[in-house]
Amino acid sequence: MIENIKEFSYHIGWRNRGRHPGRHASTQRGMGMEFIGHTTLVAYPDPRRIDLRQTLRDPMEQVFVRLFNQKSATPVFVICDLSGSMNFGAKERKIRKAADIAESIAQSANRNGDPFGFIGFDDFVREDWISMASFKSQRAIELAERLKEYHPGPVSSVGISEVWRFLPRERSLVFLISDFHMPMQQLEESLANLLRHHIVPVVLWDADEYRNLPENGITVVTDPETSARRTLFLRKDFRNRIIESFEARREAIYKLFMQFDMPPFYVEGDFDAERLTEYFHQFVAA
Amino acid sequence: MSFSFPWLLWLVPLALLPLVFQRAHSKSYSWLDMLPADPLSDLIGMILKVLAVLTLLFIVLGLSAPHTNQQEVERIGVGAQIGLVLDRSASMDDPFSGSAQNVGETKSAAAARLITQFVQSRQNDLMGMITFSNSAMYVLPLTENKEAMIAAVRATAGNALFQTNIGSGLTTGAGLFDNIPDSGSRAMILLSDGGGRISADTQQKIRDWFDKLHISLYWIVLREPDGISIFDKNYAPNPDKALPPEIELYEFFKTMKTPFNAYEAENPKSLQLAIDDINRKEKKPIKYLEKIPGKDFSNICFLIAASMIGLLLGVKYLEVKTWH
Repeated sequence: MIENIKEFSYHIGWRNRGRHPGRHASTQRGMGMEFIGHTTLVAYPDPRRIDLRQTLRDPMEQVFVRLFNQKSATPVFVICDLSGSMNFGAKERKIRKAADIAESIAQSANRNGDPFGFIGFDDFVREDWISMASFKSQRAIELAERLKEYHPGPVSSVGISEVWRFLPRERSLVFLISDFHMPMQQLEESLANLLRHHIVPVVLWDADEYRNLPENGITVVTDPETSARRTLFLRKDFRNRIIESFEARREAIYKLFMQFDMPPFYVEGDFDAERLTEYFHQFVAA
Repeated sequence: MSFSFPWLLWLVPLALLPLVFQRAHSKSYSWLDMLPADPLSDLIGMILKVLAVLTLLFIVLGLSAPHTNQQEVERIGVGAQIGLVLDRSASMDDPFSGSAQNVGETKSAAAARLITQFVQSRQNDLMGMITFSNSAMYVLPLTENKEAMIAAVRATAGNALFQTNIGSGLTTGAGLFDNIPDSGSRAMILLSDGGGRISADTQQKIRDWFDKLHISLYWIVLREPDGISIFDKNYAPNPDKALPPEIELYEFFKTMKTPFNAYEAENPKSLQLAIDDINRKEKKPIKYLEKIPGKDFSNICFLIAASMIGLLLGVKYLEVKTWH
């Protein structure tokens, strides 16, 4: 199971304050390599770090120690949309893809020695789909396996506005996996509440939603969240307008994410972990 | 407008089912808000629903069989109310020349042919028909419908019994005129070969009924060439025996209060002459009610429903099959 999970490498562009040793730059004093200055042995009583050169140089004859920042672990969270629209998908349901991505993130976090947590939401934050941040990723991966077979009911994604309450106070790396098929206003408010964290929006779209529509014909479609129905008479003109509508939407959510400085990561078709690695190289300063 | 089965109209609310229940095989789409408004699609969706509703509505309407009511128009024409009383005894299936030879037309076939002509030549007659052998068979009440009459005449062919119960035929024939408004010209044509004995009670009954209902009687005797003629003046009855049935019947008919005419036919030609004579005599203006049948709309309803189902099937053909 775990062998098949694709991994990617990630880094963060800020200093976290976690005490737990890890791989990310931190403001925590400790056994790191990053020299940040001197202080007296009285202030930082660690005789291993006595700096003889500085001690000899001091006319006041105080004993100095060197201070270092340790590398700390950063909590990694996946916030996953469990609303009805995530059940869509021709070859692979979006929620299944989301589960794959969540597994990949969990595995990668584990590799980096970071705690991993999972939060699912639909109409509200689903307590039964929460796995609190833990250094042992098994539980989260087990949750993701369960997610693969999960079929969301007719529920909306309103719960996104409450998700921030379930995240820790310390800045974390948060992957927000959703198709973002929700009203702009709601998305904007929710993102504003999540600004404390480093958010990576993972946008799951399916080509069958707009580009791979059937050429011609009549069909009835149901909205999985509101159960509203519409009859569609698909034809060239209408298909073009649907594609335009989706492109406009893509533009709109891109602009919104960039307002919050959260470059979106689009997944359409298969999830490629390499591209997520590239994403971090491109958008996150090391 | 009325309905044959009005209680079926209680099912009309079923026609609203397509509005209540949605189509079962709907595709799931992620977010309908992403689809731009399309009036044509909405129109098609509405038309589909309306079609479904109308289909059910017309099926229910068709089942309840709507029709306009029958109308009666009073007309004045030339003709009579004629009751045909035909002998269906087995001897009628013999040729005129007797049972031994197989030559010429049988009596019943000739009678059927000539009566058919007679029926067709008459304009505004009300005709009814009774056949009899050992008892009377009620075939057709007095009607203007010539096709029914001709069909009834044709239906007289077939196997028959060997008895001739004229009394029963005549009383049942008189019953044809019961409860029918008198047009002033009523005739009964009795066509038989030979006679039959009628009991005194029945004779009295026939006499009374014919008088009461003002029915004149035409009797056509199909005679075999060497049989006894009822008009034979020289016939000397054998005092030791009862009179032959033909003679006895003739004597009885002569005692009736209503007009009576007798004809003898020995071959199709003389039968034709007899019928022509009746045709001439029974031509008086009569008032009659023409019934205009109500129009049945159920087939139209079914046709509309079928065409709508056809349209829906056409839409089904246009339906997207390659998605999801």
